[in-house]
Amino acid sequence: MASRAPAATGRLLVGFRKWYYNACGFNKFGLMRDDTIMEDSDVKEAIRRLPEPVYNDRMFRIKRALDLSMKQQVLPKDQWTKFEEDFPYLEPYLEEVIREKKEKEEWAKK
Amino acid sequence: SGVWNFGSLLGLCLITQILTGVFLGMDYTSDISTGFSSVTHIWRDVNYGWLIRNLHGNGASFFFICIYMDIGRGLYYGSYLYKETWNIGVVLLLLVMMTAFVGYVVPWGQMSFWGGTVITNLLSGVPYMGDTLVQWIWGGFSVDNGTLTRFFGFHFLLAFVIGGGTVVHLLFLHETGSNNPGGVNSDGDKISFHPYFSYKDLLGFVIMLLGLTSLGLFSPNLVGDPENFTPGNPLVTPPHIQPEWYFLFGYGILRSIPNKVGGVLGLLFSILVLMVVAILHTSKQRGLTFRPVTQFLFWTLVGDMIILTWIGGMPVEHPYIIIGQIGSVLYFGLFLVLVPLGGWVEN
Repeated sequence: MASRAPAATGRLLVGFRKWYYNACGFNKFGLMRDDTIMEDSDVKEAIRRLPEPVYNDRMFRIKRALDLSMKQQVLPKDQWTKFEEDFPYLEPYLEEVIREKKEKEEWAKK
Repeated sequence: SGVWNFGSLLGLCLITQILTGVFLGMDYTSDISTGFSSVTHIWRDVNYGWLIRNLHGNGASFFFICIYMDIGRGLYYGSYLYKETWNIGVVLLLLVMMTAFVGYVVPWGQMSFWGGTVITNLLSGVPYMGDTLVQWIWGGFSVDNGTLTRFFGFHFLLAFVIGGGTVVHLLFLHETGSNNPGGVNSDGDKISFHPYFSYKDLLGFVIMLLGLTSLGLFSPNLVGDPENFTPGNPLVTPPHIQPEWYFLFGYGILRSIPNKVGGVLGLLFSILVLMVVAILHTSKQRGLTFRPVTQFLFWTLVGDMIILTWIGGMPVEHPYIIIGQIGSVLYFGLFLVLVPLGGWVEN
């Protein structure tokens, strides 16, 4: 019993997260979550550090989304980004940039 | 999308108001003994004077429709993150409100006189120098000839100050380029202004001018107050003093607070709260396009503003008092607490 309860809660949480992911709607434009992050200075630096193929894929998805948005259209359902296929490609680079910034700030205080 | 048309539409509104206003100014006399009758003279005797006055009065309503839509677009899509452009926009909103307020006094009808009296009296809430300040603004001991002459002057002058502010607003906008509905960086996907945006803006102009002429020719007094067909009389107070529709939400907030200074501060901060929106932005995403929780809060704000507008036009009695108070609390609560919380939750 006790071992089943956390599994059920975990399944519920994943189900809710999947529902919320689809409710957000960026997947209908073929975007991934990290494509929609607001570009402040940290994010801009993280984007600059992306490997070229990852950067090119990002630019393609964003350009396609802008074009679809302009035409008030979305992609066919089979081309929507799926919850399971979305991965935070920008996160490791962003964490690295923030970590470096904090380290610089610490050094500047000394 | 279409909601990006309101910027250029505001430019068209300003040009329309200045053109019609200059022509009205050629026949209007800013004296309490002749002001009201000069407006009647314009309407009846000046060639197409009735049309020019029609367009100017209803043009003011369209000005506010466009400015509220432009602000709404800015709030929904996170355009306020272009901080310089946004803050100059808030200054422009204040200037447009001041221009509309002094402009409404100019025809010197009952609502012109009494609306002017109510709102200028609010300045007496300023500590220590309040009464002196009010008399300084009035140019006398009540709203009288001195007030009318200077208000006409301010109305004329402020229109051009708005023009200057618009240039600075556009200057800052052109440093960054426009936002877009996705809130993503569009630097890699630019298109020329002509013919895409020139024709898009032209279509917007046609639609707005169609709306303005329809309102002006089919229902010119739809949003006006019948009290303003009566010359201003300091000895007769209208039963329901209220401003034009575009100020009613602020009037509702003002009257919800049972303290004069508190009410004035509420009115002031109902506009100035726009300046803190960028600081309170908590979401990792720019706009609300992909944020369902905050979208709900945004539309709650829109509904709240409609309710406050309704309340501002109602008498100060039950149940309108409590509805107005709840609406005012919700208005500030949404900006200062709920929307930032929504962004944090969605992260």
